[in-house]
Amino acid sequence: MQSFKNSKFYGFMILAAMVLFFYALFKILTPSNFGSPANLYSYFQSSIIYSVGGCGLYFIVVMGLFDFAVGANIVLSSIVGVILSEKFGYAGFIIGCIGCGTLIGVIIGMLYNRLNVPSMIVTVGIMLILESVAVFTAGGVKQTLAPELRFFSGAPGNIILAAFAFALMWFILNYTRIGTYCNAIGSNEFTAKNMGIDVKKYKLIGFALLHFFVGIMAILTVSYGTTMTALTGMSTMSRNFQPLMGTFFGVAFRKYGTPISAIVIGEFIIAIIFNGFVALGAPTTIQNVVTGGALLAIVTLTARGGRGSVVK
Amino acid sequence: MAEKNELRPSKISEFFGSDTFKGLLPFIGLVVILGIMYWLTEGRIMQPKRLRLLLSQVYYPMIVATGVFFVMTLGSIDFTEGSTLGVASIVVSVLSFYSIPLAVLGGILTGAAIGAVNGFFHVRFRLQSFIVTICTMYLFRGVCAYLTTETAIPASAEIKALDSDNLKIAITLGVLIIAFFLFKFTRIGNDVKAVGSGETAARFSGVRTDRVKFLAFVAAGALTGLAAFVNVIKVGSITSTAGNQLETQILISLVLGGLPITGGAKVRFSNIVVGTLMYTVLNNGLVMLGFESATQQLIKGIVFLIFVALTIDRKALKVIK
Amino acid sequence: MEKGKILLNAEHIDKRFGITHAVNDVSLTVSAGEIRALIGENGSGKSTFCQMLCGIYTIGGGTFTLDGQEVHVKNQVEANKLGVSIIVQEMGTLSGLTVAENIFLGHEDPFMHNGIKDTRAMIKEGQRLLDEYGFSGIRAGSMIDSYNFEDRKLVEIVKATYMKPKILIVDETTTALSQNGRLELYKIMDAVRADGRSVIFISHDLNEILTHCDTISILRDGEYIDTVNAKEIDEDGLKRLMVGREIGSAYYRTDYGKAISPEVVLSVKDVTVPNQIYDVSFELHRGEILGFGGLSECGMHEVGKAVFGASLDRKGTVTLADGTQINDIPTAIHHSIAYASKDRDNESIILNESIRNNIVLPSLDDLAENHILKAGKLNRFAQEFADKMQTKMQGIHQFISDLSGGNKQKVVLARWLGKGSDILVLDSPTRGIDVKVKQAIYALMQELTAQGKSIIMISEEIPELLGMSDRILIMKDGKINGEFMRSESLSEEDLIAKMV
Repeated sequence: MQSFKNSKFYGFMILAAMVLFFYALFKILTPSNFGSPANLYSYFQSSIIYSVGGCGLYFIVVMGLFDFAVGANIVLSSIVGVILSEKFGYAGFIIGCIGCGTLIGVIIGMLYNRLNVPSMIVTVGIMLILESVAVFTAGGVKQTLAPELRFFSGAPGNIILAAFAFALMWFILNYTRIGTYCNAIGSNEFTAKNMGIDVKKYKLIGFALLHFFVGIMAILTVSYGTTMTALTGMSTMSRNFQPLMGTFFGVAFRKYGTPISAIVIGEFIIAIIFNGFVALGAPTTIQNVVTGGALLAIVTLTARGGRGSVVK
Repeated sequence: MAEKNELRPSKISEFFGSDTFKGLLPFIGLVVILGIMYWLTEGRIMQPKRLRLLLSQVYYPMIVATGVFFVMTLGSIDFTEGSTLGVASIVVSVLSFYSIPLAVLGGILTGAAIGAVNGFFHVRFRLQSFIVTICTMYLFRGVCAYLTTETAIPASAEIKALDSDNLKIAITLGVLIIAFFLFKFTRIGNDVKAVGSGETAARFSGVRTDRVKFLAFVAAGALTGLAAFVNVIKVGSITSTAGNQLETQILISLVLGGLPITGGAKVRFSNIVVGTLMYTVLNNGLVMLGFESATQQLIKGIVFLIFVALTIDRKALKVIK
Repeated sequence: MEKGKILLNAEHIDKRFGITHAVNDVSLTVSAGEIRALIGENGSGKSTFCQMLCGIYTIGGGTFTLDGQEVHVKNQVEANKLGVSIIVQEMGTLSGLTVAENIFLGHEDPFMHNGIKDTRAMIKEGQRLLDEYGFSGIRAGSMIDSYNFEDRKLVEIVKATYMKPKILIVDETTTALSQNGRLELYKIMDAVRADGRSVIFISHDLNEILTHCDTISILRDGEYIDTVNAKEIDEDGLKRLMVGREIGSAYYRTDYGKAISPEVVLSVKDVTVPNQIYDVSFELHRGEILGFGGLSECGMHEVGKAVFGASLDRKGTVTLADGTQINDIPTAIHHSIAYASKDRDNESIILNESIRNNIVLPSLDDLAENHILKAGKLNRFAQEFADKMQTKMQGIHQFISDLSGGNKQKVVLARWLGKGSDILVLDSPTRGIDVKVKQAIYALMQELTAQGKSIIMISEEIPELLGMSDRILIMKDGKINGEFMRSESLSEEDLIAKMV
């Protein structure tokens, strides 16, 4: 019989306890600089951008796949969106970001299926290519989003769009086959195949969906920052990890049936920790240390292999 | 159960699939790329001045690649080289004001310590190596950025005075020779390859698999630490971007050198040398031809994907993730 | 459905896995409204037969005719649609999905409206089914991960039966269930029969079979033997039908009455591996072949690993004559213990490696001079022992993955001959190996014991145990359940009686 320890409520409680713990910790350490309601609201606004990407990555990560091209596609899609917005306004901006994002996702999925090479490796190659494509697309200049197109740069625009993304994720997970099948493939690919699931097709769909969300993330990212510069030299690598942390939270809390809340709250927790350090007077350069340390702690707690298992 | 695990390689890979072809591919690739570059640059790439420049870019990536070679032979992956190089370079620079040998030792130990962290998390908690090392890459990249927040960290004049091709060649050759010896003539090479080819069977054959894996990561870190010394000699002061993206450069180099991403029995020591040279030639050639950096990267990306698809050992992967 | 009508007609069903002829020209029929048991020793082909019927394996030859229609299924969902479903031995539910998603996996269509899944209806229907089966404690909307193995098995039962399959296959499921769970399963099987549909029931528990089944088909070595009425036979009668394999007697030992040396080379005391074996104690004598037998899941394979120091979480002691404790593999190998696993391709040989490297791997420390290995010496060593085993190969640098099962096993033995091991743990040494190599392996075993080496032979083949062992230990449910000395009068029935 099901125990309380496995219920949705229990999952929420753990997440809430983590939020409270870190909030209390930094509030005690620096009562004045940290954690006013206005502060929290701004942490939340910055964290939801990553949560959107985290939702997208969830589809891929539950299948045991990986994608290093997320960051590069954020840059490319937002540049395409900004360029199109100059002619077609909001329609161009939104369709440019999401359309370009999804298209890249489809291409990645097809290449992965075709080349038969681990996703982690394929996407490193694709990241290199997308970065250069982004530079060509931008023509080497900084792309700025016109001031009249900045509805998504702050509340309520960003929250509305992110809420839409979360609702969509919730809908896909609960009201389509895709969520079920992605989980099934991740749980046991052979059994899934045996159940008549077209594994290649759903991996392709997974990549397409991921990059659809990346498109939304591109809208939020460029709106928040107002400009986007395309750079080569694997500079987009760092953009992969913040969404990934939310995804790891989501995967860890999957057993409680609350992946989306875990992604959103997880990203919020990371934002609290990061801002807490900044409030303590640590330079912003500490951000990567926090990111890396938090990520390592999360995966150690959630992604451990069994004893005697072969892990590469 | 053979049926359940069946994977049908595509026609293209069947055609290029033979091991002989895969083994020769890197050499062919190096000659072809060198030939193309020679032709396109009208021989300029072979001018002594150019060659010296080319060589100067080979030293520290080759040292680092030698360490990572052991990790990748396991079938694992290490993404921390860049950040390790950064942190170790800082340690070398700071210590260089006290004593040069101390600085070298400090660099190596720093690298080995970071490698030990990677190996510990990977082995002890059975976390996938790429996940562990992207976490630690972030962490140590952050440490590097934090230590250089205010200003770049300078190295002593003594250490900069060591900048000579002879020393760098000596160190690089020394590393290669020792590593080659260990790989070919001691049980280390056999153990590492055995783990890469079949970890469970290796364990049942008496290989202490966990120890081998841990030590491979320590070795990769230590060699990166040594490369940091070579790097400091060359650059003289360390900024937050030291070693940026080195990990991807090494990954690409080794793949170009023909190292199968799955590791195991089919790795060749020559992968290190050929791969690093090919990457450097490709890189320099593209620069000399006047391509802008985006075009260079586009070409590198495409070449990388083609090489992975041609060299990977799909038989060794039951499920491609 | 009309009772007594032929529901399933299997004709000349055949399947080979490499050299192993798993199912050999089996023809049988199942009538509507019966519970048919399928019995046979390990490797008799019962599971393979059923897995072909429901699309897990491709059919090697012959035809299945279901309800008058020839079927050739590609996967389980297709089989379900045709009216065949299976409850498998191992875990059949998928983690990360809800209970309802698991029940309806691959069958979402009734709940799909224009691509949108009516999750409420799915959960409601799932719950209705669970309630109907009497499993109300399981909530259809919860994650499957929050239930234990037995509850997950119950969900699987629902999944396999709710669509009212014409044929329900139950493959050794009862061992995973408690008494309550079993009763539920029997009830469901009875209901299927009452409805005029059929059950194919695989189990090793003869008592259970006689109580709950109508007819019993016996397979032996992949061949169909007979079908009998459960009312007209008893356990002994079944055992007689299960045994009586062809014994290629020429290959086995012919000597009897050899005295076992009193010298103990290895003693195993109170060894427990959680969920595998419990309080196993025995002694291995110098120069003897000690056979271990039992059903596949009885724990005997784990005994081999435990002796070799390869078990995780092992309690108890494994001690050599000189007092050395064996707790890990390197120590075991260093102290002259060798191990050939049943899972040859994963645990014995490194598949993607050369023959040479497979042979030299455990002996590298011995071959090194001041830690330096010389290729020439390694080559000679590998060549010597590969030749000694008469391995058929192109050369020692050939990759082992190209070899046949028998030659792979020869490489495994060559490696331990080279190491000079004194205690050999051979788990299923002749599994999937052709007769000629088998003969060679038996001859080698005799030669080795003559030299004073000791062998633990774990085998699922009773004739092999009878034919080769000086002493036989039979295991059941993780414990040693009987000991037999080598004797001409010892029969298969004697051993089977202790196994089931």
